[in-house]
This record gives sequence, structure tokens and C-alpha cells, in this order.
Amino acid sequence: MPDNTSGEPMEFFIDMQRCIGCNACEMACAECETNGQESMIHIHYVDRPFSVQTTVQVCMHCEEPACANVCPADAITLGADGIVHTAKTSHCIGCSNCVLACPFGVPKKSDTKELMMKCNMCYDRTSVGKKPMCATVCPSQALYFGTRTEIAEKRPNSIPVNHFGFGNENVKTKVNIMMPKGYSFLKVK
Amino acid sequence: MLKHLHSLNRKAAVNGLIATALTIALVFIGSRNLQNFDPALIGYLAGTVFAVFGVTYRYSVWIQRPATQLYWKRSLQFLFSKSFITYSLLGLKLVFQNLLIQKFIFKRGTTRWIGHMLFAMGCLLGFAITLPLTFGWIHFEFKPGDTMNYYAHFFGFEMGGFELGSLMAFMAFHGLVFAAIMVTAGVVMIIRRRLTDGGLIATQTFEFDWIPLFLLLGIALTGIGIAFDYTYLQGRTYQFMAIFHAMTVILFLLYLPYGKFFHIFQRLAQLGAILYRTEGQKRGMAICPHTKEPFASQLHIDDLKQVSRDMGFDFTLEDGSNYLDLSPEGKRSTLAKAHMKVREEGGGFFG
Amino acid sequence: MAMLSGVSLTNEKSYMVGKFARLALKTANLDYNGRLCMVSAGAGNKKAFGLDRSSNSWEDLKHAEVILIAGANVSETFPTLIHYIWEARDHGAKLIVVDPRVTPIARTADIFLPVRPGTDSALFGAMLKVLADNDWLDHEFIEKHTSGFEDTLDAVKDYTLEWAEEITGVPAHRILEAATLWGKAATSFLMHARGIEHHTKGVDNVLGCINLVLATGRIGKPYCGYGTITGQGNGQGGREHGHKCDQLPGNRDITNPEHRQYIAKVWGVEEKEIPGKGLSAFEIIDAIHRDEIKGLISICFNPLVSLPNSNYVRAALEKLEYFVAIDFFLSETAHHADIVMAGSLHEEEEGTVTTAEGRVVRIRAAVTPPGKARKDSDIIMELAKRLGAEDKFTYADSEAVFNELRVASKGGTADYYGITYKKIEDNMGIFWPCPTEDHPGTPRLWEDFQFKTPDGKAHFNPVPYRESAEVPDEQFPVRLTTGRVVSQYLSGTQTRRIGKLVDQSPYPQLEIHPELAAKYGITTGDLVRVHTRRPRLNSRLWLWKPFVPTPYSYPITGAEKWRLTSSPTVRSTPFPKFPNLKPPLVS
Repeated sequence: MPDNTSGEPMEFFIDMQRCIGCNACEMACAECETNGQESMIHIHYVDRPFSVQTTVQVCMHCEEPACANVCPADAITLGADGIVHTAKTSHCIGCSNCVLACPFGVPKKSDTKELMMKCNMCYDRTSVGKKPMCATVCPSQALYFGTRTEIAEKRPNSIPVNHFGFGNENVKTKVNIMMPKGYSFLKVK
Repeated sequence: MLKHLHSLNRKAAVNGLIATALTIALVFIGSRNLQNFDPALIGYLAGTVFAVFGVTYRYSVWIQRPATQLYWKRSLQFLFSKSFITYSLLGLKLVFQNLLIQKFIFKRGTTRWIGHMLFAMGCLLGFAITLPLTFGWIHFEFKPGDTMNYYAHFFGFEMGGFELGSLMAFMAFHGLVFAAIMVTAGVVMIIRRRLTDGGLIATQTFEFDWIPLFLLLGIALTGIGIAFDYTYLQGRTYQFMAIFHAMTVILFLLYLPYGKFFHIFQRLAQLGAILYRTEGQKRGMAICPHTKEPFASQLHIDDLKQVSRDMGFDFTLEDGSNYLDLSPEGKRSTLAKAHMKVREEGGGFFG
Repeated sequence: MAMLSGVSLTNEKSYMVGKFARLALKTANLDYNGRLCMVSAGAGNKKAFGLDRSSNSWEDLKHAEVILIAGANVSETFPTLIHYIWEARDHGAKLIVVDPRVTPIARTADIFLPVRPGTDSALFGAMLKVLADNDWLDHEFIEKHTSGFEDTLDAVKDYTLEWAEEITGVPAHRILEAATLWGKAATSFLMHARGIEHHTKGVDNVLGCINLVLATGRIGKPYCGYGTITGQGNGQGGREHGHKCDQLPGNRDITNPEHRQYIAKVWGVEEKEIPGKGLSAFEIIDAIHRDEIKGLISICFNPLVSLPNSNYVRAALEKLEYFVAIDFFLSETAHHADIVMAGSLHEEEEGTVTTAEGRVVRIRAAVTPPGKARKDSDIIMELAKRLGAEDKFTYADSEAVFNELRVASKGGTADYYGITYKKIEDNMGIFWPCPTEDHPGTPRLWEDFQFKTPDGKAHFNPVPYRESAEVPDEQFPVRLTTGRVVSQYLSGTQTRRIGKLVDQSPYPQLEIHPELAAKYGITTGDLVRVHTRRPRLNSRLWLWKPFVPTPYSYPITGAEKWRLTSSPTVRSTPFPKFPNLKPPLVS
């Protein structure tokens, strides 16, 4: 049964400052059937010697994905629903271009499997109206999956932003990051 | 989605035509001006010629893409460098490891490996037998007065003979049956996986993932059917089997350049990628300014800056440096810090 | 003969173990691993309220104006609680965190009070003085429903902010800020955990917290609460039903003749057949060394890892003439057993547990014990049978045990009588006390202000500040404190077997401020040896990984990671938390 019956589409909302580094998402991610028991989510300390700040990163599903554009093997595809799929196992040659080009640092590459793998927003679940594994277990709701109405109600002081700047490059994504009200863009560097 | 899609690629079309002409020329030479050509196989030949054109065209388009072109260029550059011998040996090793025994698929899963090996090797065996026959490069004949020994001719030259009823004869006449059995077994294993694995069920598509399996299964089963027919049914279903077999094979050949099977030709690039990595590591690693750890070769980072620029991505920062100098972990941390800074400006880390 | 038990057992199993030790083993010496865990909290709660349970359901937490968390690394030890705290903050709550380390919740807290280890009670005392000086007190509540306020205030009359700054290391203005926030709030919730409890003066620290709650009268009202954060799988229920050396079911006192009489009736025995108060867990180990105890049964307890000074414990286990361990995995302790009985996990048996909120919930058997392993309850019943007490252990299923527990707890402070399996299922759990079947349970305690102390009032307790049992000196100049990591649970008997969790923290690590590390010339990843007053530690090489300066640069913290083997803590109850760290030697 779908997790949402309101008819309003569900979206992903992230707030890394809420993350407490409990790693529950990492364990849950490995339960996602599309990853074959391997965890794709990134959770780590930002700068451990100086802070206990942790960050958590899922694939942001860019509208114009750098990973797919730099792939020499046509292995990464963007679905009509805006999901950037993980590399096709038949095509991926394990060159790591996507790993190094993704501005969010998302794809992972296995040397032995000669294969890139990444978060595909639990396609087995989200494609049938269920929430991704990580968001269902996150106790801090740093990872939240739900409707815009819900998030507006739950986070009265924040607003979803899906527009990011990396140098001269502007990137628009399907996944949102929660920012203080009044912001519509996050200049990363 | 991709910024560089070409409607018609002239260079690729020329390459395709050259390859096609070459194939046809070889058919003429190999079959001694069609003297040894079997007209019954004309449909197969047409399909093959089309496939040659399609694959060459697609391949040429493919390697013109900036990322692919770079690997192509670099692979040749590194191979034909002063490390030629080292890299040739590495190349041979990789051909064995990645193309022949496909170790990387083994690492992805045992069942997948066994299944894939079965149909990959089945197909290779099949093509090794059928292509020369289709092209008329090989034909068998008796010598006058000797009906006990069969002689094989390649490009019109006699290559040897074997006695009818011998083991060698059995092998030669049933090679395709073995191939078909291998393909069938492999396909069944993979189909089973595709029917039971939740992840695959969610992400697979009919045209990309299932059609190839149906094609392989169709070819293999009708192939076995032909052998079964002449062995046990005295040719009663020959017509049906032969037509159906020809249809599936020709469909397969037509599909070859477009769908999943194109990966067979792309796979070679994996060797290039490994060569590139090896040479890159030798030349020196890039150190992430955030983690202070090496994470990729500097060559790769520099090349990638160019490739991403060619693809329309400009990660140049205000200070002139490039965002791609950061490792993936460095990028994630940078994003988190930028977010924290904004939160702080908003009056508190929490919101 | 003695028996050791554990708080990760379900309510049913805890109850059975208590009854088994007393009636089948016929020993007084039964104690549990909660002894290392929450006794300070329990003792403080009993002194102040006469009852040991979190006063509120966490639903109240979501709407509190101010939340104060002391000595609880909630993000690593109770991540699910974060959900409530974060929701409260979304509703506008302010968060105050008291901790020597910048924990993940401290990082984003509105006010963080980086207290020097062992000085918590000075901080609470100074805050109480600020409340009194500014008259942020609930006089009506104090007058009508409490006792001991004057003496308590008197004890902190000299605890100025400046004094507190000197003792605790927390800037005076920040203490004032926190006290002001707390004082002016209309609703508040205070929670604490092992960080302030694991001290020789853990009870002082707990009472210091309770004094802040009582002075502002913020208890027994909506969105006002106080609670200790439990440690183990059944940290609350496991300490209520009689597998402690001094306790009978329903939180009854084993030395109280009336209580004994009642339980004797429930069990169908003579009152004199129930043994009296026995030895505590530490005392049992001592008694083994003194040859007073020769046989031991242990269930759900890994003393070799969780008790301080593992060499001493190991020697005791080796000395035993007969040692039986019931455990689901071959733990370090079970390695020393003569007989190991393969028992069951939480997930392999039906039952109930009581959450940190005091809510009794059902847990289900998701799988059956593999191979020849048996349910813990089956093992206990079989042993009882062999020991000739079969007639006392004739339970058809866990519900039958629970129904007997209900009767046994009836009239006790932890009264489960009105709770049935069906009611639990229909209501997503029931909060005790629940004295009758038509009683809805008690999510929020003290709404009637009838406390369970003999005089019916909540008790203030004076907390004069005293120094820790050990303070730094020239020989041992550095404070060492212990902490936990999220990937390892309890003694790690379960989690150290899970590769992904081991990968997260493969070995114990020492976290140290860079300034201190620089002084000793060590850096991240180095192997160091730590000398403390615990003699046995000197010979042992530990793998430590120094880390941690924080944005707040609090200079004296170390967190010993998951494996507490030979942990540098002393044997005594409650034990001090911060023995000292001599200059580590780099090897």
C-alpha cells in the first residue's frame, strides 16, 4: 500500500543540520532491493577533528545530470519521472568519470565489480508510492520524504530549495534541501 | 537530456559504408566469387551486412562523444608509448580476465556470472560457426570417390578433413546444438533472476532487458528445434523451425546496434579505462583540498575538467580553481558546510 | 550459589528469573546488570518521588518550551528520542545540553554547557540559586506538594555563578542564560542519563536535576516533565519485577514483611521460604573471590565486558566450581562457563517490555531459535523442573507468565494489574501504574500531586557540592571519561558480530583534544598506552585513535569506545566515572 493517499506527489527533503550521525540510514539503505544489499547513502563526519557535524547525502537527481553527461558508456539514464538511474550493469565500464564529476559526490564505484552504483531513490519503493528506506528510518528526519504540504507544516521556519551553485555552474535537482525562509538558492562555493 | 545528440553523423555514416563494403568484398573473396556461397543463407547475410553497418555507425557516433573520445585517444596514446610492451601484456591479461572469463561479473554475483558466461560463450561459439558459413568462407565437400571423409575449405583453401561418424564429425555437426543449449541454460538462469529480484523487477524495461533475452531464447530454441526435427521427426517441422529461426536471427542482427547487445562492443572500453587508470596512477594522484587524501589521478581530474566543459558544465570557482578538484567526500562536506553557514546566518543551526 | 541476570530480558523473563532464583535455586544472591546502569537514577527518583519511572510520556516532550538534557549522548545512545526533541524544536522549543563533550545534539543546541567531568552538581546548584534569586519559583507547588526546599536552598546559597564557572569550567554568563531560559519557561522537560549517573556521586547529580524541576513546579502538568533515559532493551521494565538482590515483583522491597507476605501468597509458598536480601553484582564477584560463592548461573549478562576491571572478574569466573551461562551467543563470559545453554534473542520470544516512558508494549517472536537453541523461558522452566520446583513453573505461554506478574505487581508501586495483552495491543501500549482492568494507564504521573513518598510529597534534597572520588594530581594529571558509539550496543555481544557495525567502529578509540595531543606528541591513528590508577591497565596495549577538538575547545575529554574490557573504572557501586589518564605513551 502506498505511504501517501492524498494524491499530492511526495518529494525528498533533506536537512543535513538535523543529522545526528546515527547511521540508521546507512543500514536501511542496504535493504533497498535495487542496490543488492549494498549501502549507497553517504553519511560521514564533515571535519571530524574540529566538529561532530555529520552530513548525509543521497542522490539529488539533477535535471541535467553531470554524471550521465560525462559517462563514456551511456550507462546512466534519466527517467521521464526525473529519476537518474544507477549505471546499467551491461554498459558501465567502471571508469569513475561520474564519481568525480558529480557535484554532490554521490556515485560510488566498486573496483572489483568494475561498476558504478548510486542511490536511485529506492526505485523499487518510490515507483510504487512508498517512501525510500533511509527516510523511513531517519529518527532526526534529516531525510524526509513526503508532500510539500506536510513539510511546510512540519518545518515552519524552513523552505525547500533545489537550486545550487557550484562556481559558475547552476544545478537544479529533484531532491530538495531545507533552508531558512527567504532563501531560494544555495551557493556551495 | 544529453547535450550532444546528432541527427545524422556524416563521419559515422562513412565509416559504416566502408565497413559494409569491406564485408561484402570479403564475402566475394572468401566465397571465391560466390562459388561457395550458399544462397539459402542470403537472408542471414543481408541481416549481417546491415548489422555491420549499424554497429560501425553507432560505434563511430559513440566514440565521438567527448568522454568516450578522450578514453579512446588516451588509450591509444598510452598503449603506443614507451610502455608499449608493458601495456600490451596488460591488455592481453585484461582481454582474458575481462572479456573472456569476465571476472568482474563474477564479483557482481555468481549466478549472474554463470548465466552470462553460458550465453556469452554460446553466442561466441554460434557466431564462430555461422558467420564463416554465411559469408561462404567455409564449405565442406567430399572428394571424388571418397564418401567416408569430409573436407573443410576456408576461403577456398582446404584446411583438413574428418571421417564421417567420427567424434570430430559429431562435434562439427553439433557445435551449434551445444551453443544453443548453453544459451538456453544461461537465458533461463537470467530470466529466473529477472522474475524474482525485487530490484530488477522495479528497474527493468521490456525493450532493453527482456527483448534481448527473448531473442536469444528464440534463436536457441528454434536452433535446437531444427536439430531435433532432422534427428527425430524426419523434417516434418523443418519449414516452421527454419523460418522461425531465420526470423529471430535476423531480428537479433537488426537489434544488435541499438539495444542492450551494443554493450558487447562497448566492453572493450573497459580495458581502456583500466589502462588509463594505471597510467594515471603512475603519473601522480590528485590530493583533495578537504580530506588531504589522494582520490584520483591528476590526469583524470584535468581531463574531466575538459570533458565536463565540452559537455556544457562549468565548475570554475570565483578564485579560478575548479570544484572538481575536490574529492567526492570533499564535495559532500563542502555542501554541508555551505548549508551550515546559511543556517547560521538564519539564526541557528536548527530549522 | 548465585545468579546474575540482565535488563534486556522481557518483563516475563525478568519475573521468572526472580522467582526461579528464590524458589528453585533457593538463593538470595540474585542481581542484575542494571546495577551498572541506572541505579543512581533509580535511587534519586525514589528519594524524591518514591517511584522510579519517567514522569511523562514523550508526547509531552514535543510541546515543552525548554528541554534540558544532561549527560546523555542521545544521538548515539537513543537516536529514536531525537525524533521527539527535534519535533519540539520545530514547535519552538529551546534546547539546553549539559555534557563534557560536544555531542551531535550539543552541536546545534541553543545553549550548550560544556561541563568539566564530575562537576554537574555544582552547575545544577548554581542554576537553582539563580532561580531562587530571581524568584523564578512555583511557591504554591513548593509549599503544598514538596518538602525540604529551605534546606536545599541553603545548601546552594554560596553557589554564585563565578564559583560555578571556576568549578565547572562553564562561563558564568552561559549558566545564567540557561537558568534564565529554564526559569522563565512555562513548560519544560528535563532528561538525563548515564553521563551524570555513573559517578560515586551520581545520586547527587540526579537530585540536583530533580531540584530544578521541583523548584519550578513543572511536573504533573501537560508538557512538563522529567525522566531518566533508560539504557537497555527493557531498561525500565527489567528493573521492576524482582531480579534485583533487594527487590520483589512490582518494585516491592524484599525486606518489607508485608511485601514478602503478599508475594509468598502469589507464589504459593511460606513467607520464610523466600530468601532475604542478597549480594549485589559486584559483591557476588567479591564473594566468589572469598570462596563464599562456588556456583553461578548467568543469563543475559556479560560481566567480563561490562563490569569494571575484567581481570578481577575473569579470575572470579575461573575460580567458580560450577558456572552455567545462558546466552544467545558465546559471549566473553560464556567462554568461561562449564555449561553453556543456547538461549534466545529478544526477537525469538513473545513477551512485553516497558519503554523509557513507562509504557508497557508487546514484542513479538519474529523468528524461532535456530538449531538446538531454546527459548530462555523454556530453559528456566526445564531447570526449575530438574531442581524440583516444577509446580511453581507451569506456564503455558508468555501471557500466562504476564498474568501471574500482573497479580504479583498488584498494589506495588509498579502496578501492572490492569494491563492485559489485549489492552496493550488495542492501545499501542499501556503506561503503568494501571491498578484495575478498566483503568486507562498513567501516561503522565503526578497529576494529582500525590507522590509515593511516605508523606505524599515530592522531596527536595540538599546537594552540597563535593569533589569527585578522584581528582587530577601530578602523577595523573588528565581526566578520562567514557562514552559510547552508536554502532555498538551494550557489551556488544550482538553488535560486534555484525560486520557493517564493526566496520563503523572496529576498535576502541581515545578522543583527545589536539592541544593535549600535541603536548604528548601524538596524533590521529597512533597507538597509545594509557596509564590510570587501575593497576592492571598498565600492561595492556590499547589501540586508541585520538581526535576531537570541538568548536568550543573544551580541553579535557576522552571517550572510550565500545569495548569496556579492563575499563579504567573502579569496582564499587556506583562507580566513579572518570579515573585519570596519565600521559599516554606512544608506542
